[in-house]
Amino acid sequence: MSTGEATRRAPNAYMPIPTRIGRMVGDIEDVFTWALEPSEPFEFAPGQFNMLYAHGVGEVPISISGDPTDPTVLHHTVRVVGKVTRALGALNVGDEIGVRGPFGSTWPLGQAIGQDVLFVAGGLGLAPLRPAILAVLARRGEFGQVSIIYGARSPEDILFRRELEAWRGRFDVDLEAIVDRSGTDWYGRVGVVTRLVAEADVDPETSVAMVCGPEIMMRFTARELEQRGFEQDQIWVSLERSMKCAVGLCGHCQLGGTFVCKDGPVYRYDEVAAKMLVRGL
Amino acid sequence: MEDLESILKQHPFLEDLQPEQVKLIVGCAKNLRFKPGEFLAREGQKEACLSLIRRGTVAIETHAPNGETMCIETLMPGDVLGLSWITPATAHFDCRARETVIAFSLDHGCLVGKMKEDPAFGYAITSRLLDNTYQRLSRLRLQKLDVYR
Repeated sequence: MSTGEATRRAPNAYMPIPTRIGRMVGDIEDVFTWALEPSEPFEFAPGQFNMLYAHGVGEVPISISGDPTDPTVLHHTVRVVGKVTRALGALNVGDEIGVRGPFGSTWPLGQAIGQDVLFVAGGLGLAPLRPAILAVLARRGEFGQVSIIYGARSPEDILFRRELEAWRGRFDVDLEAIVDRSGTDWYGRVGVVTRLVAEADVDPETSVAMVCGPEIMMRFTARELEQRGFEQDQIWVSLERSMKCAVGLCGHCQLGGTFVCKDGPVYRYDEVAAKMLVRGL
Repeated sequence: MEDLESILKQHPFLEDLQPEQVKLIVGCAKNLRFKPGEFLAREGQKEACLSLIRRGTVAIETHAPNGETMCIETLMPGDVLGLSWITPATAHFDCRARETVIAFSLDHGCLVGKMKEDPAFGYAITSRLLDNTYQRLSRLRLQKLDVYR
């Protein structure tokens, strides 16, 4: 069971609620963000996800990527990778999808109060971290130093680019970005995200790290954080598994003795570090 | 005004070297400045020196036949450039100053001679080179996995 904070539960965990697509933004190739318009205020906590239902095609778990302080709009960022996400991507503004949720555990914002906060995001992993970043920035005075490290495949693959630039422009946020490869028209850093973790101006004694991205990237990042002096219980990760029911019944997302849909997706690293090293899990 | 020795020992690559070992390096070091766009090393050419970057960014690049240039990694102040120096191999990539770069250039023949004469000094330098090489290799392995695709 995750030691994350109290989660918000779906009013009816089995019933998709028809929800209208209010706005759609094409972020990067094969990735889009929706601003959905729930018929009633939709409250969630950073780190949680919804099951999005494409009528007649199927359901997929997608992290909520929007502002947790605004229950009138529900943001989801989706990468087109399979049948259901392709069907979702073919929808237009004004169309309806089914939304079931919110589900899952949350980023430990309560525990981070008074601490320095380090966010490390890789690729689309920025989407599940965005609500936590927005929540921290909305209550900026409650936290110590706020640092954001972001790694992407290339400059063209940088998610929420304008927002990252705006955060970088703040006096009360340290933000560093790096891309795995680039041409000559990119003047930022080139290399892997762990490089920035190694260099980050953070004090492990007073910090909480929240990490989200591909699982290999999270393992490498956690290892780098441990080398910097972080204990495993100061590191939080968001795992991705094949979540089907979202209520811990079907077992598709089982990871050892835990169900990622119910006990995760956000875990304290010491709870899952050993499991993440088991091949096939 | 700081002398070469006191500036040299501030570079992370030389951190914790004994004072007499830093003195050995002084005799092999030159302080060089590279203009934006200037190359510190070129693919296919023997690297005759080890560069300790003090200021500016260096892009490690290669190019495709269509003229497209790809940057594989950027090196920053505190980094070391010219790791192929430890083998008879030539440089595998172009290393281009993105902005004005200031670096200590350690002459290969001079440094290797002193490393051979003084095994403790040789060990200190070699272990630092190996650590840098391992760090670079680890990063390239992660990069090769292309995890964001």
